This record gives sequence, C-alpha cells and structure tokens, in this order.
Amino acid sequence: MPKSGEQQQRADHQHRLPKTAAEMEQTEVVVPKTLDELIAILHKIFESDCINVDEVQQIMESYESNPQEWTKFAKSDKYRYTRNLVDEGNGKFNLMILCWGEGHGSSIHDHTDSHCFMKLLQGQLKETLFEWPDNKKSEMVQKSQRILLENKVAYINDSIGLHRVENGSHTEGAVSLHLYSPPFQTCQTFDQRTGHTNTVKMTFWSKFGERTPFEATVSQENN
Amino acid sequence: MELHEGAAAATGDGVLDFSRLNLSTLNVDSVSDERRKDAKQIYLNNNRLVSLSSSIYLFNNLEFLDISNNRLTAICEDITRLTKLKTLLAKNNRLNEYSLPKEFGSLQLEVLNLSGNRFEEIPLQCTQMLRLQSLSLGGNRLKSIPPEIENLTSLELLYLGGNLITAIPAEVANLPFLTYLVLCDNRIQSVPPQLTRLDSLRSLSLHNNLLTYLPREILSLVHLQELSLRGNPLVVRFVKEMTYDPPSLLELAGRTIKSRNIPYFPHELPDNLLCYLDLASKCPNPKCAGVYFDSCVRHIKFVDFCGKYRLPLMHYLCSPECTSPCSSNPQSDAESEDEYSVPADRLQRVLLG
Repeated sequence: MPKSGEQQQRADHQHRLPKTAAEMEQTEVVVPKTLDELIAILHKIFESDCINVDEVQQIMESYESNPQEWTKFAKSDKYRYTRNLVDEGNGKFNLMILCWGEGHGSSIHDHTDSHCFMKLLQGQLKETLFEWPDNKKSEMVQKSQRILLENKVAYINDSIGLHRVENGSHTEGAVSLHLYSPPFQTCQTFDQRTGHTNTVKMTFWSKFGERTPFEATVSQENN
Repeated sequence: MELHEGAAAATGDGVLDFSRLNLSTLNVDSVSDERRKDAKQIYLNNNRLVSLSSSIYLFNNLEFLDISNNRLTAICEDITRLTKLKTLLAKNNRLNEYSLPKEFGSLQLEVLNLSGNRFEEIPLQCTQMLRLQSLSLGGNRLKSIPPEIENLTSLELLYLGGNLITAIPAEVANLPFLTYLVLCDNRIQSVPPQLTRLDSLRSLSLHNNLLTYLPREILSLVHLQELSLRGNPLVVRFVKEMTYDPPSLLELAGRTIKSRNIPYFPHELPDNLLCYLDLASKCPNPKCAGVYFDSCVRHIKFVDFCGKYRLPLMHYLCSPECTSPCSSNPQSDAESEDEYSVPADRLQRVLLG
C-alpha cells in the first residue's frame, strides 16, 4: 500500500478540486501554442498549492507536439529509455522528456506520493496498470492496459495504482513529456512475479539540453 | 507527383530530402549531374514508391539512403553499384527474403534496417556483409536465426524483436563485438549457455518469450547492464519431483577415465567410444573435479542480477551428492532457500541428448 496516510492525502485530496462558477469565469482558456507557452502556463498553475488534475491534463493535451521545439531535449540511448530534464518548475514540479527506443520499457513503479502526467509527443506507448501487491509473495495483479496515442495525456498517482510503461514498437521510437508534482528523486520498483520491491534512485540522462553523466552504473530497472 | 529538384529541401551539404512528398517514382533525370555527384544522403522515406529506380546508382557517392515507409516489394540490383553506401534504412515496406538482389552482400554496409517487412528468413546476403555493425530485422516473420550469422564479425547491434523465433543458435556467441542483442517478443524457450562468450554484451532484451529459467552462465556476462525479462513464465519456485536414477555403466566408465586422467589412444578404442569420451562435461562445482556425460542433476538457484529479483538460474551437477557451487557474482544470494530445504534424494534428474 502507499506510504503514510498523511503523505497520501497530498495526491489524493488535490485530485479533484472543482472550480467554482466565479473561478470558471475568471479563468481564460489558454491553449499553449508552443512548448515554452505550455511551460509558462504550468508555472502559473503550480503557483497555487492546490492542483486541478483535470485542468493540467487538459492543458497538456491541448499543446500540439512540435518536434522542432523539443528535439534538443530528446537525447536517446540505444540500450534503454532516457530521462531528460526540461524544467524544474520553481521547485513545484519536474518537467522532463523521455526517449524510448524500439522495445524499451520501464519496470513497474510507483510515484512516491506525487502526481504524474505523461503526454505522448511522438510515437505510441503502452501503459499497464497494476494493483499494489499484498503482503503475500505472489504474482502482481494487472488492472488494465492501454495504448496512448500521440498528444494524449495519461495521469496516475499512488492511490490509483502502479504502472509499467513500454514502447512496444519494433520499428519506431517514442518520445513522451512527463510532469511530476511535487518532484521526487527515488521511487519503488516492483517484481511482477513476486511483488518484491526495490527503492531506486532516478537519474537524468541530460538536463536542459545538456548531457549529464549517468550516476548509477548498473541498471536498476526490473523489466 | 513527380520529383524535381525544387520540390526537395536541398540543404546544399550533400543532403537531398525527398521525404513525405507523396512520390510514386523517383525521377533521377531531373536532378543535375552535379547534385548527383554531391549527394551523400538521400531521404526517400514516407512516399508511395513501389520499386526503387535502377538509376539510383547515378548517385555514386551516396553513403546514406532512407527508403523506409514506402511500398517496396523489391530492391533493384543496381543498388549494389553504390560502393560507398554505408547506411540503408528500408523499414516498413513489403520486402521478403526474395526481394534483395543476389549481389546485395557485396555492399559495404555498416547499418542495415529491414524492420517491419515480411521476411520469413534472414537472407544469406545479409550474413555476407563483413562491415555490418548494426542489423535490424524487428517486426518480421523470422522463424529462426541462421548459423551463418557468425560471419558478421563486426556486428555490434542485432535487433530481432517481434518475430517467431523459437531458438537461439550457439553461433550467435561467436560475434566478438556484440553489445546489444534484442530477442524480445519471440517464442524462445531457452537461452544457450554459450552466450556467456559474449564478453562485450551490454544489453540483452528477452522480454515476452517462453523462458522458464536462464542458464547459470549468464552471470559471467560481466558487462551486462540491461536485461529485460518481463512476460516470461519464469519459475518462482523450483519443483522437485523425481528421484535420482544412477548413471549407466558406460557413463561410470567414462567418468572414471576422465576424472582419473587414464590415458587412452585412438587406435585402442572404437570410434563411437572416442566420440563419447569427448562429450564429457565438467561439473560446474569448482570443488568437484568430476565430469558427467548424460546423467546429471538439474538444480535451480535463485539469484538477484541486473536489477532483477530472484532469477531462476539453472545449472547441472554431476550427482546429487555434489553440492551446489557458490555463485561468483557478488550480487547473488549467498544461499537460496531452495538449496537448504531440499533433501538430496529429491533433486530432479535430467537426461541430455
């Protein structure tokens, strides 16, 4: 099960905070036309401590992916997927671009009590949802599976469950934009056969378009 | 739509971009002689080409050609005249093993991508390119890997994911520079222990296959950093059922000869016994000097490796009295619960061959 009850409320109670009629009137529906505009809007939204998940999802989805705007962040590795930091969101969120080569996939992982938004910038990704394992050593239970198409945004947090993300294509790579709030540096990976967990440190392949040295030398993914 | 120079985004540095122009043919005539000589890279991907014009050879300095995402059913013979061609990308077409020209193997290619086509076999021509560093045949209909794969002595990347492959030939282990081997989404039931010879292997992709265990030798791949195994029916618990049957008289005699180094000469023994004695396998237990032939004991040890928890690794012991060797890999469990709880007389017996 997810961590402490208090921390759990962080992602939970902010999950659905509906806007009042007055708030709806005041809010302009701004469609970000560029990645920079999207980042600026996100900075503004995350000034507040309360996050409307639907609003963030909608805004991220309305940005139409334009490779010219993000190619400089999309540095790939032939052996495994890469995480490339784009923006640190004034400490409120991390925005990063993940590059998935053919066949690349992640372990089953949690999100350390944070919100996670994932948008497809190019190609397609398969998301498989899992239940949290119980205390018995047994095969983890798969909840659902879906293919996310270009420009679609998926949302997950620990109360919804765990997931594995993979590029199932043998001919095309995939690129995705991820927003995590609050930012986190470690998470748990899960062994699908037994539910056994491992805490792993998350590292960046590049930051702000510059390749940064990889800290861990051994893969920490359980995939 | 016809091809003409103006339509293409010509960057002037030897790159001709004819991609995504809805082309059904390549009209080389409309490209000037000078442009043809200068051209180092041509992008013809994402068009409607059904065949590649034989005039392609006129771009005689071509090093890079992308004809992916078209409707090609064959590649013209004249492509072999592009002696400087190093990279050929032809993914997502309608090619099969009869589509490649006979002399295709003479090309000095370093990168060849034929993923997303209709190959049922890896064509022989593909195993003839001695400079080939990267070969991709993902998403085809391959049923097997030919032993001739070992001829590709420069190969570093071999992508065969998404096929119908049932076995990995030991010859794959003879590729001295292989760093990335992708065999995911196939029908592979076992991994040959010979793969331990792949010293430079950095990444091994085996997810979505039919593996129940891995050979213990996989721990010897010291440079292995990525290993994907999801979607395999890996055993979680080793099931011990059968009792151990003693080895045959032939086997006992063979074991005695080998382990005591009793000398013998070819003229002393019939050929069949000479062959038999050559088949002796050394017991993997470093404390045991014994050998086995057909009769051995299979044992599974569960080991943490490459970020994975408790991989079932199979190894063979010469007899149930022979205790399991300690793993040389510091990442592994010091003891497996399975070893301690199982009485020796209940270890499973396996007949080889």
